[in-house]
Amino acid sequence: MKPKRILADFFRKTWPLYLFSLIFHFVSNLINVFFPKVLGQFTDKLQGNGLTSNLIVDYSLMLLLIGIGHVLFNGIALYLVMYVGRKFEYLVRQGLFKHFTEMGERFYSKNGVGKLLSYFMNDVTAVRESISMGFNATANATMLLIASIVMMILSDIPYYLIVASVLPLLLIPIIVVYLGPIIRRRSMAVQEALGTMTETAEEQFGGIRVTKKFAVESIMNERFGKTVDQIKHYQLRLVRVSSFFQALIPFLGAIALVVALAFGGYLTITKQISLGNFVALTLYIRMLMNPLQQIGNVINTIQRSRASLERLNGLLSQQPDIAELENAKEMDLTEASIAIQGLTFAYEQGSNPVLKDIDLNVKAGTTLGIIGRTGSGKSTLMKLLLRMLDPPPGAIRYGQTDVRELTLSSLRSQLAYVPQDGFLFSTTIKENIAFSNRDLPLEAVETAARHAQIYDNIADLPNRFDTRLGERGLTLSGGQRQRTSLARGMIKDAEIMILDDSVSAVDAVTEKDIIEAIQRQRHGKTTIIIAHRISAIKHADEIVVLDGGVIVQRGTHAELLAQQGLYATLHAIQEEGSQHATGTSYS
Amino acid sequence: MRPAQAIHNWQSDQKGGPKLPEQKPEYVSAFRTLFGYAKPHLWGFIAVICCTLIAILSDLLQPFLMKIAIDDNLMSGKNDYKGLLTICAVYLGLSLSSLLFTYLQGNILQSIGQSIVSRIRKQLFGHILKQSMRYFDRMSSGSLIIHVSSDTEALNQFFSQVLLSLFRDGLTLVFIIVMMFHLDTKLALYCLILLPIIWAIAIAFRSFIRTTYQLARTRLSRMVAFVAENLSGMNLVQVFHQQKEQEKQFNERNSQYFQANLREIRTNVVFGRTFDILSNLSIALVTWIGGNAVLGHQLEFGVLYAFITYIRQFFQPINTITQQWNTLQSATVAISRIWSVFANKPDVTDRELAHVDLRKEEQDEDENERQASLSNFSLEQVKGRIDFNRISFSYEEGIPIIRDLDLHINSGELIGVVGTTGAGKSSLISLLCRFYDVKEGSILIDETDVRDIPQATLHRLVGLVQQEPYLYSGSIIDNIRMFDQSISREEVIKACKFVGADTIINKLKEGYDTRLSERGSGLSAGERQLISFARIIVFKPKVLILDEASANLDSHTEQLIQHALQIVSQNRTTIVIAHRLSTIMQADRIIVMSHGEIVEQGNHQELLEHDGHYKELYDHSQGNVAV
Repeated sequence: MKPKRILADFFRKTWPLYLFSLIFHFVSNLINVFFPKVLGQFTDKLQGNGLTSNLIVDYSLMLLLIGIGHVLFNGIALYLVMYVGRKFEYLVRQGLFKHFTEMGERFYSKNGVGKLLSYFMNDVTAVRESISMGFNATANATMLLIASIVMMILSDIPYYLIVASVLPLLLIPIIVVYLGPIIRRRSMAVQEALGTMTETAEEQFGGIRVTKKFAVESIMNERFGKTVDQIKHYQLRLVRVSSFFQALIPFLGAIALVVALAFGGYLTITKQISLGNFVALTLYIRMLMNPLQQIGNVINTIQRSRASLERLNGLLSQQPDIAELENAKEMDLTEASIAIQGLTFAYEQGSNPVLKDIDLNVKAGTTLGIIGRTGSGKSTLMKLLLRMLDPPPGAIRYGQTDVRELTLSSLRSQLAYVPQDGFLFSTTIKENIAFSNRDLPLEAVETAARHAQIYDNIADLPNRFDTRLGERGLTLSGGQRQRTSLARGMIKDAEIMILDDSVSAVDAVTEKDIIEAIQRQRHGKTTIIIAHRISAIKHADEIVVLDGGVIVQRGTHAELLAQQGLYATLHAIQEEGSQHATGTSYS
Repeated sequence: MRPAQAIHNWQSDQKGGPKLPEQKPEYVSAFRTLFGYAKPHLWGFIAVICCTLIAILSDLLQPFLMKIAIDDNLMSGKNDYKGLLTICAVYLGLSLSSLLFTYLQGNILQSIGQSIVSRIRKQLFGHILKQSMRYFDRMSSGSLIIHVSSDTEALNQFFSQVLLSLFRDGLTLVFIIVMMFHLDTKLALYCLILLPIIWAIAIAFRSFIRTTYQLARTRLSRMVAFVAENLSGMNLVQVFHQQKEQEKQFNERNSQYFQANLREIRTNVVFGRTFDILSNLSIALVTWIGGNAVLGHQLEFGVLYAFITYIRQFFQPINTITQQWNTLQSATVAISRIWSVFANKPDVTDRELAHVDLRKEEQDEDENERQASLSNFSLEQVKGRIDFNRISFSYEEGIPIIRDLDLHINSGELIGVVGTTGAGKSSLISLLCRFYDVKEGSILIDETDVRDIPQATLHRLVGLVQQEPYLYSGSIIDNIRMFDQSISREEVIKACKFVGADTIINKLKEGYDTRLSERGSGLSAGERQLISFARIIVFKPKVLILDEASANLDSHTEQLIQHALQIVSQNRTTIVIAHRLSTIMQADRIIVMSHGEIVEQGNHQELLEHDGHYKELYDHSQGNVAV
């Protein structure tokens, strides 16, 4: 696919707005440059004693009209450009979010949430700023510069006087371009120092018990003090440049005025230009100072945002790594067994495989338990089954069909999945449980909650199922989150359900109740349970023990206990020291 | 709005938002406190004001100089080019001094402001660290962070922006008015009619702008929060095939933000233009009135020229000052919040023994005894006997957490504590560490009341390993010695070898100098736990309390931990709060707690035979419950 060009696409759509804005800017500045001219004429009339009371009113009204006209057109131009900028932001963010929903596992493990958010926030805003404020300032300043110079030439102000007076002003953008990045770097250093201080404070308050317990408050005070001194240091470094910068710009304006005064004054005295033109010239110089400073700023903004634009284009050009095949088909997964044949999988080509030569057959309606240590490949296997990662062709089949030949919607709508971390969204509990179909009635949600042993906890909440979670709402404990997430999986009543260590944070008593509920509800339906606690899987029809990406043992709970091996060791560690626990207690 | 700022706002909204105490800011006392901080810098402030005066002079006198040039040199027809050059030279000189003094003014003001802010920051942080645990229970750590970073930053802005603008723009405004009156009183009076109108418009618009700005900020926060959450939960969205639905919800938030932005733009554009129109109106007015005056020879043209320029300059400082209004407000709120933190005194304090010495004759028998027992008390000689003498405790009046609990622990004993959540296990420990003080009864270590032991000594004496070991950002070695550089590297390594962490640490790229970040990420839960054990070995507390990790350690790591626990508990009085019975089956004594009382105690076998709470817990953990 050809690389994305978001800006070009956007300009193609919005160029009329830009054109209008440009025209309005032009008109507005055209009006604006008459101001010094009118005042100059006024002066000349005054000097020539040609002024009458009526003429004064005319001139005043003319000045007012110029002012209002300039402001009005300038306002419209400004609004148009800012509108376009926000529209850009809106559209790009919309596109980014859609793109995010399409990207897979690999993408997210490579880019952390923080990084993606910074694309979404900082980069989009940076580009927006240069295409709206940047455009605005450039258009405004260029138009003003051109219009003023043309006006001055038309007013018979000699061009060498114009050049001499305007020359110091032209240094302004150059200085801004030179000092701008330095100021920016130094102010970034201040921001970073501030961030470090906040982090240190955050860390200290979070670990207050530890700090107090080891009686090291004075050391921690010192540590914090250092971060504070850093801020001061960087802040003072920043102000050395920024205050110089702030002083320098008006100074250049003053130089231009001095030139105008000395040179222009001389020409006025020797009657080579009129007093009116002299007055107009000084007014033009004051008028040009601000826009020229803005041009410098714009150059800096554009430089920064070019990198942002490239990042955004690069991001949007990435292809999702899980894509549906062209001839992917819908399929009913009822009665479909799951067959894994010779599955070997590595995250990167050439790196060590995480799963090696896995053979598994899960008959429809049975329960499979997978157990193993952290890093044994359990979760990778699960991701392959859900096709969050792409397995090699033919390695995983639902019924007779390769998982790669199914449409993603038909696969995922018939699978239920309960993740380990119990991730919930900041919305109501009802919406969280009914995540797969927000239109489900409350009764269905309640039933699912009962099955997941979370109903009583929710019923105790003030707003019951309408209670909002997170973000200024309520936070649930780890175990409660897991059970809510379990209810979210159960409500689908799917043909196939995968539980990825889904009850790790609940206590032993509740775990037992949940496992029983799962057994009841999932009777006759395919269920895969991944766990690191034996208690969660010992009822399974078949249990496989994964170690280092290889199936090292398989069988039922009783069979595996009878063998020497990892399973028996795990059992011994988990239920250690117990002569009472014979492993036969399962009812 | 700056995007990074937006994310930050969103995060701080999440952290501390609702818990910030909504008190009425006490402006007067807050500013008095601030004044106290500013007082030592009196001469600095005077210098800043002087610099400001000189700095604005050239900008202010420019129209005046032009007036002289026009009236005296150009219009008079005297062809006095020398005079004109003098004016140029004066103006150039003024501009140069302005360049220098603007620079000085910025630097001096910043260095004063920074000194004050960093002093406040350090004191604030030190003050918070001194507070008792009750304080940290009450205040979310989010809101404390806001005090230390955002509130003090608002203070910083007060110095670098508000004060600067107040000096600079305020003085400018005053001078412009003075100059106008100096030039022509009547015309100046006409112009001053504008002033109230400008203020009224500015204030009306400011509040309007603030609401639209707030609206945009809230909507942006909502959108960012939504995206951040969906990014972290994207695998779920995809597995549940909800991309379309989430996209719909996102677009709703996105377009709400877009609408709010347009409103903000409209408000800003209209406000800016109104100001400009007002400025143009006043120029036209001045031209009309002034022109007529010139015509009647009551006014020289140069004066009119100066007036017009002054009027154009007049609006800028007003605009800048009104822009500072928001910053001033948030700084005021911040100051009063910081002040309220300072006003809070820690409720667990050391008894003041030094003072007792001064009043020897007033000491009664008890005091004497207390003194005597304390003089015998030294860190090295403590054996580690602990007595809980019929203690009671509650966090809130009327809801007792621990009732009349009596427990005596011999030195070197290994005690296991079990019980359901809310039984009072953690509170018992907090009391021993003196995070809180008991309501009734007393806790003695080697016959000395914990309230009589200086907190620093007590904390060194009693070591605590928490459920979630807390690691600081810094190297592993510094984490083990808690940044105390007086503890040697060898000592740390020895400790790590002792608990079996050495091999794991050596496997890391930079060994003991590996930097940990974000609360020890990069290490597994078990490895973090081992590091916290090594800390205990290094700091050698006589009493060790272990809040056992219940989180999902995998079985292998759990074995490592068990082994380390055995090592650290040697020759120490050790109290283990157990979440899994396997940990404490070997304990000398197991305490079963329920509703703040001890309901059973004895060793594993005895308790099983007793067939009570413990037996029930044990059966559950083994899955031996009849269904």
